[in-house]
Amino acid sequence: MEKSVFLSRLQEELEFESELELNINIKDIDEWDSMAAMVLIGFVSDEFGMTLNADDIEAITTIESLIEKIGQDKFN
Amino acid sequence: MFQKFNGVAIEHISSCVPLRRIENSFFKSLLNEKETKMFEKTVGILERRWADVNVTASDLGYHAAIEILNKNNIAKKSIKSVIFLSQTSDFKIPFTSNILQNRLGLGREILCLDINAGCAGFIQGLSTAYSIANTLKKDEKVVLIVAETLSKILSNADRSTTMLFGDGASAILISKTENETDESFFNFYSDGGKSDAIMIPDGGFRNVVTEDSFKTISDEKNNTKSRLQLAMDGPSVFDFTLREIYPSILELLEYCQHDLSEVDKFLFHQSNKFIIKQIAAKLSISEDKVPINIQDYGNTSGVSIPLLISSFRNDFSKTSKIICSGYGSGLNWGNCIIDISKTKIERIKEI
Repeated sequence: MEKSVFLSRLQEELEFESELELNINIKDIDEWDSMAAMVLIGFVSDEFGMTLNADDIEAITTIESLIEKIGQDKFN
Repeated sequence: MFQKFNGVAIEHISSCVPLRRIENSFFKSLLNEKETKMFEKTVGILERRWADVNVTASDLGYHAAIEILNKNNIAKKSIKSVIFLSQTSDFKIPFTSNILQNRLGLGREILCLDINAGCAGFIQGLSTAYSIANTLKKDEKVVLIVAETLSKILSNADRSTTMLFGDGASAILISKTENETDESFFNFYSDGGKSDAIMIPDGGFRNVVTEDSFKTISDEKNNTKSRLQLAMDGPSVFDFTLREIYPSILELLEYCQHDLSEVDKFLFHQSNKFIIKQIAAKLSISEDKVPINIQDYGNTSGVSIPLLISSFRNDFSKTSKIICSGYGSGLNWGNCIIDISKTKIERIKEI
């Protein structure tokens, strides 16, 4: 998946007001909460077939770190 | 543990919920409009039923059970065991099933048993009831009553719990069938290492009630509750359900040598619509095989699966195999494969 497509689809899923960027810390976004985490887990599971666990969610900071977790090879 | 039963089945199911509806707008001091929308989209709960102050779980259970006894015109002496499964029993002492024996007008020659179990409770209780029914004579029966009023143990200022749970009860009549080829299968798992994931810390005898038990404590997200109210580590419970449930279902199917495609319906514990959809996706089962009623009742703990059966009462006559899957406090999880195509299922009663 293109990283730019990933960013816009994720933003759409999470229903965040502001645009996501690779270096934004997702936890700094006002709308980030446990429900957003749930949506994120679902999105990553549906799109990439991997299940993020609670430790993964805890460890994620920027969108780039999320992409790192999913695997750079899945992106182009 | 894996179990197989021959010639035992559910004859009749009746469910009862309180009349009082609590809509999401009730929680507007906890969630803003957008958060509420997100909650409805992910968790899937639109409303739940909460019992009035003077209504207990056993009251709801009584109304569900008496419906079954009256409708079948059952000789009350034929009920040889009554099991009351709940985390919100009437008293610490005595146990509630014994009170229900008298209130339901049942005979004195009876095994009364209380089970303290959580969201996997229906599977645990049903296994216990089947085990007892299996040893009885023809025409002797077991009544399993699963009943909860979780609304009474919630802090209304804790958004990690208060919006999730609802009250309700189901009564399930179990007996031997004419047909020894009727098969049912169960499996169970526990991880007591995570016993604090869903917990009321004080009020038992590990932490007896002190003055401090009543003090409200705030967490980092400004949720407040006392040590006598339900606390849940949401992420860890969420994690566990996504990781453990689908493989445990596949293990049960392997044990009984059935294929996933032979199963007509999958009845998941109604904890969270998102979790149910994720488990269903991992098993690659289509949505029409996965009934959901969480939008109307929230999470009613062990009651959720029989309540779901009641909600979809007309959908089971042509099914031969359904899988029920429960998971929750303990942590604890279990599944069963049963046939309810001949089970009488009552309309949900409101009191």
